[in-house]
Amino acid sequence: MKLGAMILAALAAAAGACAQTESDGAIPKVRVVIGLQDVKRDTSGTLAVHNGILEFRSAKASGQVPVPAIDDIFIGAETTQSGGKTGRVVKTAAIAAPFESGKALTILMRTKVDILTVAYHDPDGAVHGAIFALPKGQAEPMRAQLIQAGAHATDTSKP
Amino acid sequence: MNTRILAVLSILLPAVLAAQSTPPKAKLSASAIRIDMVEAGDVPIPAEFRYAIYERLVERVRASGAFQKVYRMGDHSADAVPDLVTLHTKVEAFKQGSQTERELVTVAGATKVDITATILAHDGHTLMDQKITGRVRFFGENLGVTNDLAKRITKLVQASF
Repeated sequence: MKLGAMILAALAAAAGACAQTESDGAIPKVRVVIGLQDVKRDTSGTLAVHNGILEFRSAKASGQVPVPAIDDIFIGAETTQSGGKTGRVVKTAAIAAPFESGKALTILMRTKVDILTVAYHDPDGAVHGAIFALPKGQAEPMRAQLIQAGAHATDTSKP
Repeated sequence: MNTRILAVLSILLPAVLAAQSTPPKAKLSASAIRIDMVEAGDVPIPAEFRYAIYERLVERVRASGAFQKVYRMGDHSADAVPDLVTLHTKVEAFKQGSQTERELVTVAGATKVDITATILAHDGHTLMDQKITGRVRFFGENLGVTNDLAKRITKLVQASF
């Protein structure tokens, strides 16, 4: 009985860790690929929609896109390398490993991400494109949240 | 031996002299540039690649300092600039590779984008028109191709202005 309870608790904890979305709908572990004003490329943080604003927040910077300014939202996918900058350094160092054994790291460190592209315009009408890398499976719910908040998006269900 | 050297020199010398006598290409002049969104045409290219090329182009052309002002597409404040030129890019071909394949096999999995970059004057006539290819061959994610492409286009723009 005690063992059963422990297994259940462990499963519940694992499920909680897998569910990437925070209680307020914010998505953690989001990386800005490019295009968000006032935020440097490859900054990691949290992406959320609240009060008619798409907001990216990290420890050092934050960037916002008003939802009514969004012209379209696209979803893509990319296979990338996990571990961030540290991962890149480790992988570069592994090139020197004998018998090309460092290449095994390529397989071990690969991870799939969703790519969310938000096309929007600023008050002058200038076109911008903010590109985010989200944990796999998180782009579609974020797109739905944005559309519900009033963002324009092309209907991808039509052929 | 001497005859051979003379023969080689007689072939090379006119070519060298001709190259030296070619006048340097006159540079174009404009105070501002507007960068248009990348046109995909019939080529199936994911939207993130188009937007990433556009964003990186804005970033790189601004950093190059070739123009006093760099405008984005749709910016109304660009309409009043008399000597505004427009950079238009159109995708001609796109091949999406694989980062894993690239890093494991090295010779396979390259991502490649072919585009035509055109610079138009305010009156609409073409000032420059060139085909450029961007590639990611070894390391980095597929979107890295957008950086290579933007770098090449900016270099071309900088050489022309």
